[in-house]
Amino acid sequence: MKKVFALSLILALLVMVGMPLSADGHERWDGADDLAVNPLACGMGDEMMTDDSDDMAEEEEMEMMEYDGGQPAMMDMDMAGMDITLVDVPKLIGIGYFAATTLGQQQAAEELGNVSVTTDAPTEANIDDQIQVIDTYITQGVDGILFAANDPVAIAPVLRKALEAGIHVVGYDANSEPDAREWFVNQAEFNGIAKALVDSLADQMGADASFGIVTSTFTTPNQARWIAEMWAYASECYPDLTWLETLEAQEDAALSFQQAQTLINKYGEDMDGIFAMTSVATPNSADAVQQAGLCEDVAVVGLATPNGMKPYVNAGCVRDVILWNPVDLGYAAVYVTRAVVDGEFAPGDGSVMAGRLGELMVVNGSEVLLGPPFVFNADNINDFDF
Amino acid sequence: MQSAPRNPTVVEKLRRYLISQEGVLFLIMLVAVLFLATRTDKFLTVDNLLQQGRFMTEVGLIAIPMTYIIITGGIDLSVGSIMGLTAIVLGWSWQELGFPLELAIVTGVLSGTLAGFVNGLFIVRVGVPPLIMTLATLALFRGLAEGISQARSARGYPEWFFELGQGEVLGIPTQLWLVIVSVIIFAIVLARTQLGRALYAIGNNETGARFSGLRVNRYLLLIYSFSGFMSGLAGYIFVSRVSTTRSDMGTGIELDVIAAVVLGGTSIFGGTGSVVGTMIGVVLIQLLKNGLALSGVTSDATIVVIGSVLIFAILVNNFVQLRRDGS
Repeated sequence: MKKVFALSLILALLVMVGMPLSADGHERWDGADDLAVNPLACGMGDEMMTDDSDDMAEEEEMEMMEYDGGQPAMMDMDMAGMDITLVDVPKLIGIGYFAATTLGQQQAAEELGNVSVTTDAPTEANIDDQIQVIDTYITQGVDGILFAANDPVAIAPVLRKALEAGIHVVGYDANSEPDAREWFVNQAEFNGIAKALVDSLADQMGADASFGIVTSTFTTPNQARWIAEMWAYASECYPDLTWLETLEAQEDAALSFQQAQTLINKYGEDMDGIFAMTSVATPNSADAVQQAGLCEDVAVVGLATPNGMKPYVNAGCVRDVILWNPVDLGYAAVYVTRAVVDGEFAPGDGSVMAGRLGELMVVNGSEVLLGPPFVFNADNINDFDF
Repeated sequence: MQSAPRNPTVVEKLRRYLISQEGVLFLIMLVAVLFLATRTDKFLTVDNLLQQGRFMTEVGLIAIPMTYIIITGGIDLSVGSIMGLTAIVLGWSWQELGFPLELAIVTGVLSGTLAGFVNGLFIVRVGVPPLIMTLATLALFRGLAEGISQARSARGYPEWFFELGQGEVLGIPTQLWLVIVSVIIFAIVLARTQLGRALYAIGNNETGARFSGLRVNRYLLLIYSFSGFMSGLAGYIFVSRVSTTRSDMGTGIELDVIAAVVLGGTSIFGGTGSVVGTMIGVVLIQLLKNGLALSGVTSDATIVVIGSVLIFAILVNNFVQLRRDGS
C-alpha cells in the first residue's frame, strides 16, 4: 500500500514537473536551443546558390559586423604579386579530411603560380604539438600561416606572435579567437546547413512530409543550433512539414541505430523522413532504415562524412548527405591569403574573389563564408575519401 | 710519459666524466647541436633556445620524479592524465565553484598530488605492480577530467595568471627558472641524501632494502605523491602557457618523459640513473625536434629521426659502458 502511494506521488510529481515543460516546449522542436534564429530565404535547387548569395549580400550590408580580426605588423616590403611561401598547419595530418583540404590548397597554389604551400602538422590532434609546429615556422620565417585550430584559445598566443612578426594568418575549418588571425574561412553557417537539410527532405518526400530527428543531446551546442535554424527555416518556408519527435543518441553508434529503429516502429507509415544530426547518427539511421526495408518510404537526410555514407548512397538507400567540400575549403584559404597579401582584400571589404569558387561573402566581421553546404550524392560521393 | 704522473687526478677525473653515461650523452648532444646549427642559422639563437626551454618545461619537471620512480624499478604512466586532471580541477574550481584563482591553483596542484598519493597507496598497500596501477589510473584520471569538465573549457583568466607560462624574469622564461631550481635541488637530493641512496637500494634489491631496515613503503609513497605533485605543477604551468583548460591536456606526455629518462641513462630495471642525465635527455629530444623542424624536416619525418637517435644513443652508451666496465 505504501509502495503504491509512493509511486503515485512520484508520478504526480513527474507530471507536474513535466507539464510546464511540454506546455511551452513546442514553440521550437525538441533539441533546439533558444538563441536567435536567422533563417535564409526559401528556395531550392540550382537557383538556390545565386538566390542565396544575393540575399546574403543584402542582409550583410544591412547589419554588417565590424571587422574584428587582427592585423600583422607592417613589413617594409610590399609582397603584392611576388612569390610567397605559406605553411598550412591543420589539426593533424594523416586523415582523409585534411588530406582533402591539402589537395585544395595545392590546386589553388598551382592555379595561382606564385604561391607555394607546405602542409605540416602533428600526427595527433594535440594542442601543444600544434603550437610548437607553428612556433617553429615563425622562427623559420614564412609569409603566411594557414591553420585549423585544435583549440581556439590555446592557439591564439602563438598566432598573435606570428602577426607581430609580420606573418599573415588565415584560419579555416576551426577558428581561433578572432583577433589572433586576419580572416577565417567558415565552411558553413548554421542557417545554411539547416536550409540544405530541410530542402533536401522536402524535395524527396514533399512539402507535407512528417519526420523525426536523431540528435546527439538536446544541449550539444552545434546540433541545438542546427535544429533551431531548421525549425525557423521550415516554419517560414514549409509550414506543412510535420515534426514528430526528437530523440537523443549521444554520439553512440548502437544507440543511434536503436533510436532510429524506435522512430520507425513508433510512427510506421506516418513517418517519411529522419534527420540525423551527427556523423554517427546519419550512417546508423540509414542502417536502421535499410534493415527495416524502408529505403523507399523513409528518407534519411543528415550530416556525415562521405566514407561513412558510401554504402547507403551507392545502394540507393540515401540520396543526399549534407556537409561541405573540404577541397574547396583548402582552396579558398589559399586564395584568401593571396588576396590579402596582394592588398586586394582588406578589413571592411564585403567579399573576396576565390578562383573557381567565384565571389565569397564576408560574414560575422572577419569570416569568409565558403558558400552553401555541399551535397554528396551518388554522382560525386565516390570522388571523396574522408 | 713523464708528465702523466705529475697530474694524474685531473686527467683521470676528466676521463671518467667523459665515459660516464652523462658524459657520452652530452657529447652526442653537442654533436647534434653543432650539426643542426650548420643546417640552419635560425636554430642556434638565444631567442629560439629560450623558447624551446619554455616548451620543454612540463616534460622536464615531470621527468625528475619519473627518474626517482624508475630508479626504484617502478614506473608512472598516469602523469599525463594527472596533468589533465589538475588543469580541469583548476579551471573548474575557479569558474564553476567560484574559488579565488589563487586557491583554485592550490586546489588543482593538491588534487594532482592526491592522485599520485592514490597511485602510491595502492602500489604499497595492495601490492599492485606500478605498471598495472598507473595504467589503470592513466584511464581513470583522464576519465575523471573528462567527466568534471563535460567537454567545456575554462577561459578568460586575468593577466597575472599568464606570468608563469608566458612571462619572463631577467630575460629567461619564468617557468624555466622553476625547472633550473628543481633540477639543482632534486639532483642533490638524489645524489647526496639518505633518501636518494634509499631509492637506489630499493631499485637494486627491494627485499634486501626492506631487511636492511629501510622504510621502503614510506619512500615509495613519497615519490609517487611527488610525481603527482610535479605533474600537477606542470598542469598549472601548461594552463598558464596556453590560457585555457581542456581535459585532453598532457595526453601522451608520459611517453616523452619516459623516453627522456631512459635516454638519460636510467635503467628501466632500476638501480641506476641520475637527474642530470635525465635533463640532458629532455634537452636533447627537444632540440632535435626543433632543429630538425627548422631545417625543413616535416613533423612525421622528425619523429622517425628522433626514434632512430634514441636507439643510436642508447646503443653507443651501452657500448661505452661495457668497454669501461670491462677494462
